[in-house]
Amino acid sequence: MSHTSTPLESFIGYKADTGMQCGNYSIDVPPLKEGEQYRFHFDATKCVGCRCCEVACNEQNNNPADIKWRRVGEMEGGSFPDTLLLFNSMSCNHCVDPACLIGCPTNSYIKIDNGIVIHDDPSCIGCQYCTWNCPYGVPTYHEERHIVTKCHMCYERLEADQSPACVQACPSGAIEIEAVNIQEWMEKDIDTFGNMPHLADARLTNSTTRFTLPENIPLEMLKADEHHLKPAHSELPLVFMTVLTQMSLGAFGALFIGDILSLFGFFKPNWMLALLVLIPAALGLPLSALHLGRPLKALSAMKNLRTSWLSREAAALGAFTGLMSANVALYFFDIHISIRLGFELLTMLVGIYGIHAQAMIYRIPARPSWDRTSTNQKFFTTAYSGFFLVSLALILLGSSDSATVLLSSAMIVAVIHGFFTFGAYNELKFSPAPQLQKTLRLYRERFNTMHTLRWITFGVGALALPLLATLFITSDLTLEAITTLGIGFLLLVSSELMDRFLFYTTTIPLQMAGGFFVGPQRN
Amino acid sequence: MLTSIKNFLGLDIKAKKYSLSDDPLFGRISDAKKPDKWVFSTCGYCGVGCGLYIGVKNGKAVYTKGNAAHNVNMGTLCPKGLSEHEMITSSNRIPSPMMRKNGKWQNTSWDDALTHVSDKFKEITNKYGAKAIGVLSTGQLLTEEFYTLGKFVQLGLRTNNYDGNTTLCMSSAVMGYKQSLGSDGPTGSYEDFVHANVIVLVGANISDNHPILKLHIEKNPNNPKIIVIDPRKSKTAQMADMFIPLKPRTDLALFNGLAYIILEQGWENSEYLKNNVTGLGDLRKHLENYPPQEVANITGIDVKTLYEVARLYASSTAVLSAWTMGVNQSYMGTDTVSAIINLHLLTGQIGRPGAAPFSITGQCNAMGTRESGFTSSLPGYRNYGDEKAALEYANIINVPLELIPTQRGYKYGEIIEAIEAGEIKALWVVATNPLVSFVDQTRLRKALAKLELLVVQDAFMSDTAQLADVIFAAGTWGEKEGTYTNSERRCNRANKAVNPPGIAKSDFDIFLEFSSYFDGVRELIYPNWKTPSDAFEEWKRVSRGQLCDYSGITYEMLEHHGGIQWPCNEQFPLGSPRLYTPDIPFRTYDGKAKLLPLEWIPLQEPAGKQFPIILNTGRTVEQWHTRTKTGNIDILNDLAPEAWVDINPSDAQALEVKSGDRLAISSPRGRVENIVVRVTQTVREGDVFVPFHFNTQLINTLTPSLFCPKSGEPNYKQTAVQLHSQKVPQGIVMKSPEISGELAYDNNEMAYEITAVKEKSL
Repeated sequence: MSHTSTPLESFIGYKADTGMQCGNYSIDVPPLKEGEQYRFHFDATKCVGCRCCEVACNEQNNNPADIKWRRVGEMEGGSFPDTLLLFNSMSCNHCVDPACLIGCPTNSYIKIDNGIVIHDDPSCIGCQYCTWNCPYGVPTYHEERHIVTKCHMCYERLEADQSPACVQACPSGAIEIEAVNIQEWMEKDIDTFGNMPHLADARLTNSTTRFTLPENIPLEMLKADEHHLKPAHSELPLVFMTVLTQMSLGAFGALFIGDILSLFGFFKPNWMLALLVLIPAALGLPLSALHLGRPLKALSAMKNLRTSWLSREAAALGAFTGLMSANVALYFFDIHISIRLGFELLTMLVGIYGIHAQAMIYRIPARPSWDRTSTNQKFFTTAYSGFFLVSLALILLGSSDSATVLLSSAMIVAVIHGFFTFGAYNELKFSPAPQLQKTLRLYRERFNTMHTLRWITFGVGALALPLLATLFITSDLTLEAITTLGIGFLLLVSSELMDRFLFYTTTIPLQMAGGFFVGPQRN
Repeated sequence: MLTSIKNFLGLDIKAKKYSLSDDPLFGRISDAKKPDKWVFSTCGYCGVGCGLYIGVKNGKAVYTKGNAAHNVNMGTLCPKGLSEHEMITSSNRIPSPMMRKNGKWQNTSWDDALTHVSDKFKEITNKYGAKAIGVLSTGQLLTEEFYTLGKFVQLGLRTNNYDGNTTLCMSSAVMGYKQSLGSDGPTGSYEDFVHANVIVLVGANISDNHPILKLHIEKNPNNPKIIVIDPRKSKTAQMADMFIPLKPRTDLALFNGLAYIILEQGWENSEYLKNNVTGLGDLRKHLENYPPQEVANITGIDVKTLYEVARLYASSTAVLSAWTMGVNQSYMGTDTVSAIINLHLLTGQIGRPGAAPFSITGQCNAMGTRESGFTSSLPGYRNYGDEKAALEYANIINVPLELIPTQRGYKYGEIIEAIEAGEIKALWVVATNPLVSFVDQTRLRKALAKLELLVVQDAFMSDTAQLADVIFAAGTWGEKEGTYTNSERRCNRANKAVNPPGIAKSDFDIFLEFSSYFDGVRELIYPNWKTPSDAFEEWKRVSRGQLCDYSGITYEMLEHHGGIQWPCNEQFPLGSPRLYTPDIPFRTYDGKAKLLPLEWIPLQEPAGKQFPIILNTGRTVEQWHTRTKTGNIDILNDLAPEAWVDINPSDAQALEVKSGDRLAISSPRGRVENIVVRVTQTVREGDVFVPFHFNTQLINTLTPSLFCPKSGEPNYKQTAVQLHSQKVPQGIVMKSPEISGELAYDNNEMAYEITAVKEKSL
């Protein structure tokens, strides 16, 4: 007997006899009252770690196996036989103050009326800043699509009274959708019900997920993926972009000061020097577009000046480079120095703000190794490399006297830079934060050679060779001075690029507990 | 070129591919995978038997969705079920029959393959007798296929050296039910999880293996007390109100001890015993050897806990004991099953809502082969050697009585031994992969090398298929139709959604076609059979009046009601949720269940100086059996891509290993390298756990050729091993060998000796 047609029910509106939201393809959630939003409830006392929700989510959204909007993490505490296995099934926590939304330079995150944080795909440029900002590691970059994607609580299903895939799939009824009064939640319940071991404090972004946890959780809960030690993405385009723009800031600063000092008889800067100081930034800024999933849309990164440091950086450094270009013209057409100095002061301020904004991009709680004052210090003092660039140019232009003065300041700033940078590393040794501990381990276990090389090249390039060059200059050995300083400059630039590479790749984000093999399932 | 530039620039965000669209049945689902049609079916993985729909688009299976109206799963599916459509298009499917010519695989026609194998079978039969052909089947086929295969093997090929991989998982339950209740047949029902006041999960890690059962426990309105009995604090043990971490393979002693307490305290249900049970006197006498203190010593469970559990069995309104491999896969699996049943009989916890001793089946249709498959019994639970039953069967199917086998042939392990001994010359393996799943792999591989002919019939290029001389390319789940019967005796309908790949055929068609290569066989045993429903109609007649009565079932009913639990006949037109209610007597000659005196036997290979650690094996939720089905499904395989070893922190410290390090494990039978360490408090010091799914770390290299004498089920769960880390290659030094009252295995002298050292009381 063969069946061409089979009895088939419509499961929309059908209520499976479970007394829970699970199993049903339709859902009864109460209509939202004033001041309420939808949120997830996850009951860890019911979850058995079967991962139905993970697979159901991917099936619903056609996501490939490596794009997981919902993930199940495992933790363990206590000792046999009183061992507690704790599971955390988590997708997006649809925060009251979502870090993804605040940081997004293109306003691609929208907290819709019912509180669900959705991602607007077409406007996303794939900058992935949200994947840094979210303390839960929720947004995930979808390489095939060149954009970031994330859980949207199946809002298109909810709108039609249909269950989100994870809720429908859970055989334990451990995942539910409920309404929450935001004010009540923020005033009291969030601290009691909003936290889960190894998750960032719910107050950080005012996460809305309610967790039901077992009683008497052991003090120490180990992540199943505790043994993972995975370097972060090296962000090569950003390594170059940040170092080069910071170099330009230093170089421009030298130019500006030189222009002022020229009033007192020092070397008078010319248009070639003005052009030179612009070049690193002019190279670096477009390079940064390469890290975007959609580089052609780079300009739309300036859309969110109101809340995004990334927008501010893009705008300010864009303006800085533009102003520096205009400044070349001022020199070329020999505009009066008073106008030029005023213009240069403006350019300088814009540049300083740009690098400040650039540093603030990294001052995010979700990445503890970045979220330190040392990041601002490091970014600004990297400007010393610009001093060296200008010094070299000054010798070439035959103004050794000015070069000597600038070189000494360059070396002083370099020493300060070295001090800050080494301090940032040294600080890791005394920090109890598990993420910083792992950052230190990455330095020591994975990147020890590069880290050593960074300091050798720094010592030789930024201190030893410049000192030698100063000697050559005073001995009128110009060619030797140029060669020495030239080599030194190349070494110190390599040194800063290595340091910046390490800065990016050794960061360990705040992250939920993951699986033994797969970790938190984020790149 | 243009596409790659466009891709690089991110001009196409593939919005359409990732958009949703409305499906009239399941609501908004992935637009790219929106099916042209939904086909009603049943999951083909485990014995839970979930109802589902297969979404088909352009002739390809693209979606699997749980059937919300199905009694078993009410819309939910486990991760394997949710991704089951991906199994169909797995890259290790076999699209054509193949033969090895000059050592190389060649695709061949069905006629060539069937001619070659049938000629060889005939040649071997002529030379050595029909019993020189052995057949190993599975729990994965449809009931119609099992019945067809069994008939062909026993009545066509005329060999009774036929067994299934069900002997590796459920045969102890089969034999336990038989010796205690008179017949195979799980007594309970999933709805008993909803009605019970006490749920005892013994040797059953349902969180990994049967997660959908959690749905029924979750539905229980009585706030049931959950007792988990397991040497491992598994995911399942997390739901326990009471966790009983007994020492490995001491379960039988535990149940005997509980029975002792019940009788000692007079907690037995005398009314029930008087009317329904025999053997109380013998049992009472036998249990004198199991006083609480002695049982506490054996099991490691304190006396107070023993009394508490016994009290719960006796005083609760309804107790459900559910078990799986922890009980079955044991040298005394059969008797342990009976010991559980003893407890339920003593307390009258059987045949009522929420009260049952209940085995949970491993495979989607282990039940189908147990009932219809000619392995452990004649079809319809007719016992071998029962002349009346044999005659009845011969008459129903209209064949001469002398064709009906009178005794069971070799069991799985015995078939391997017979191959080793040169007695069996040809082996036909159907939908199972002994090269990962069977014990003592080195020995198995040596034995298989002796075969004159190895035929493997499978949908996937398994490890065993790679060793074959001939491969019959079979269809799999979703490509064929018939019925599966789940753990709770629920017969479920499976429909065909797509065609098998290439020229692969359904197993049913292969059996039918193969039979026509033997003179007169097809006409005799499959008269006018064309489709699986012909087999089902005969099976209904064969099962009529038997305990597993399918006579009232139609395919239409199965789809309409979300499966039917046998017996289904005039008396129970919609089936019965449980057996041995007042309406269904026990299947013994006197209609009474038997209380049996059962002896606990210590480990044959306890932890000793050379092998101080006890290895336990099992499964993980992401993988299915030997990974032929799940190994190529990324979303599952990525989560558990290789085996690992769970090891207690104390042992890890002794070996100087951390999570993520690698170690080797050895037993007297071999050594397995490169197993990643997972340091965890879910195993006690001295125990380790390794999943068995992985051919990359073939843990069954270590497990012994030790079988339950009654069921033939291998003792997978306890193997004495040594661990070898890089820093401590010589392994763990045993602290204080526990030899009290146990058989000590002195490996240096390779001898068993009984030591009778009395242990100090706790």
